[in-house]
Amino acid sequence: MKVRVKLFGTLPQRYSEYDPEYGLEVEIPDGAKVKDLLAHLELSSSDGGVVAIDNLVVNTEEKLKEGASVRIFQHAFGG
Amino acid sequence: MKFLRVDMNGQSVRVEEVPQEYAGLGGRGLTSILINHEVPATCDPLGPENKLIFAPGILSGTPLVNTSRLSVGAKSPLTGTIKESNAGGTVAAALGKLGIAAIIVEDQAPKGKLFNLIIDKNGDASLEPADAYQGMRTYALVEKLLGRYGEKNGVLCIGPAGEYQLGSASIQTSDVDGRPCRAAGRGGLGAVMGAKGLKGIVISQQGKSPDAIVDPDAFKNAAKVFAKAVKDNPFTGKMLGSLGTAGLVAAVNSLGAFPSYNATKGVFDGWEKISGEALAETIQQRGGKTTHLGCSQCIIHCSNEYVDKDGKYMTASLEYETIWAMGGMTGIDDLDMIARLDFLADDIGLDTMNTGVAIAVAMDAGYKKYDDGQAAIEMMEEIAKGSEIGKLLGNGPEAVGKHFNHHRIPVVKGQSNSAYDPRAMQGNGVNYATCPMGADHTAGNLVGAYLSKALNPLDAEGQVEASRNSQIAMASLDCTGLCLLAGGVLAVPEVRDALPQMLNAKSGSQLGPDDYQAMGIRVLKAEREFNRKAGFTNKDDRLARFFYEEPLPPHNKVFVVSDEELDSTFDF
Repeated sequence: MKVRVKLFGTLPQRYSEYDPEYGLEVEIPDGAKVKDLLAHLELSSSDGGVVAIDNLVVNTEEKLKEGASVRIFQHAFGG
Repeated sequence: MKFLRVDMNGQSVRVEEVPQEYAGLGGRGLTSILINHEVPATCDPLGPENKLIFAPGILSGTPLVNTSRLSVGAKSPLTGTIKESNAGGTVAAALGKLGIAAIIVEDQAPKGKLFNLIIDKNGDASLEPADAYQGMRTYALVEKLLGRYGEKNGVLCIGPAGEYQLGSASIQTSDVDGRPCRAAGRGGLGAVMGAKGLKGIVISQQGKSPDAIVDPDAFKNAAKVFAKAVKDNPFTGKMLGSLGTAGLVAAVNSLGAFPSYNATKGVFDGWEKISGEALAETIQQRGGKTTHLGCSQCIIHCSNEYVDKDGKYMTASLEYETIWAMGGMTGIDDLDMIARLDFLADDIGLDTMNTGVAIAVAMDAGYKKYDDGQAAIEMMEEIAKGSEIGKLLGNGPEAVGKHFNHHRIPVVKGQSNSAYDPRAMQGNGVNYATCPMGADHTAGNLVGAYLSKALNPLDAEGQVEASRNSQIAMASLDCTGLCLLAGGVLAVPEVRDALPQMLNAKSGSQLGPDDYQAMGIRVLKAEREFNRKAGFTNKDDRLARFFYEEPLPPHNKVFVVSDEELDSTFDF
């Protein structure tokens, strides 16, 4: 299945093909979880990536749906 | 360490050793406890009985990184409560290096007279007439003052808004480049400075008499642990230096918690045009600075220098809360316009947040249309002129709402909420409602807990406890002089231990982690006590009514923490 991923913070710099307007289209196996997507993008916990879908932060065990719009930004603690 | 007591009526300065009862205090702890002891709680904030106190943190002036926060305290003319507003820049470190624990400004200058306080490299201080600077905006003023007294000085000053004694008047302070673009913005403390007849304070950065560090080796070792953690953390070590605090625009919009169009929506239509990513790209394309040293001894560099299409300086630093107040709340999705509004706020001497929200309330009431950047600029200029509408706008959202008979006023105790909507981040609503200083995100921001999923942002459960813990932690941190962004790394256990180690190594005290927390509780108790004496009760610890009644899209939630739960926030 395909999901669309938009990246924020310093994360887009890591993907040379990244289009800030569109984001990335990622193909992953049906039934893949958020952690599988992060692994596919080679994002580890030390990157501080936070994943949000439909205006909610989701945990890494959450199953992804076909066509999901996924945002990944970096952890922050206020400003 | 010493106090400088400045008598504005007699134009004299008295030096005194720090009395034992204030030993070991700094920053907010010192300003709040002093005010609670020395200022009559029912006094007129703009009268002679109020005191305006400037205090660096306990660790300001030491070699530790990111210790350049200055606390400014008084009874607030905006909220009527006790107030501590803190600012970065160069002054906290300068005062620390002069061995000055606090400047306490008392009484008032004769009506119509203005003075500057000058503190030289030996710590000698005197008041000099400043009538020639009357009405001057802050950029011109600071240029004159640094021209006259030398560039190796830090400056605190007010603009026209402070001289008019407006509720949103800030105290501006100079950054490392000598620009007055840092602010103790909140609570109208610029109005208190104006009421004292004090236009500016010039402080030498060449002091060589800091408080001696009792155990330099232990201090150095713990300071290294702290600095390494700041560098290693992805947020403080990387993202803030690239995008600044504006990096939060994407995150908070992605959680539906970015109050927009005077808090009628939780996602701003044009947020990607004003995000940290868009900001960094615009600055880079134009040759400005996305990474900028704003405060002495900073290793995060969250500041930026925003330039126009020709590469000419427009403002520094464009930050998250300003982008929200001047952008999201007003519907303005043009970074150039927001940068101009930020510059005007600094130059006129206004809190960007309270002023942006006041403009948004005026727009919501139909005075002007949303997204009308030119109208917003004209409103700022009206404030600078001191016209009737300008004074209303400069007195903040509540004054504007009352004038237009408009009930959607997002304030607590008269001070505007911040860039996290209480309906989509319920615990931040608890902070706004219960903070002793009116709505204030810096008193205990829980955005980190929501991003890490430690707390569900939409339910009441756990919010009060999280707010309580966060408010205590911030009250402690605000005593140290550490920037709150750097302070975020204290969540790492070995770093948490480094902080009491540094405090002990500096002063020879024997503080443990519990004592550090107790310092925050002591500060909050003093602040609450002052407010009680001033006539505040738990009934004042509430959000504006519409947060309980109007659901916020996209989550369509209202604020659900009960009054009883709010009243238990300070059960300690």
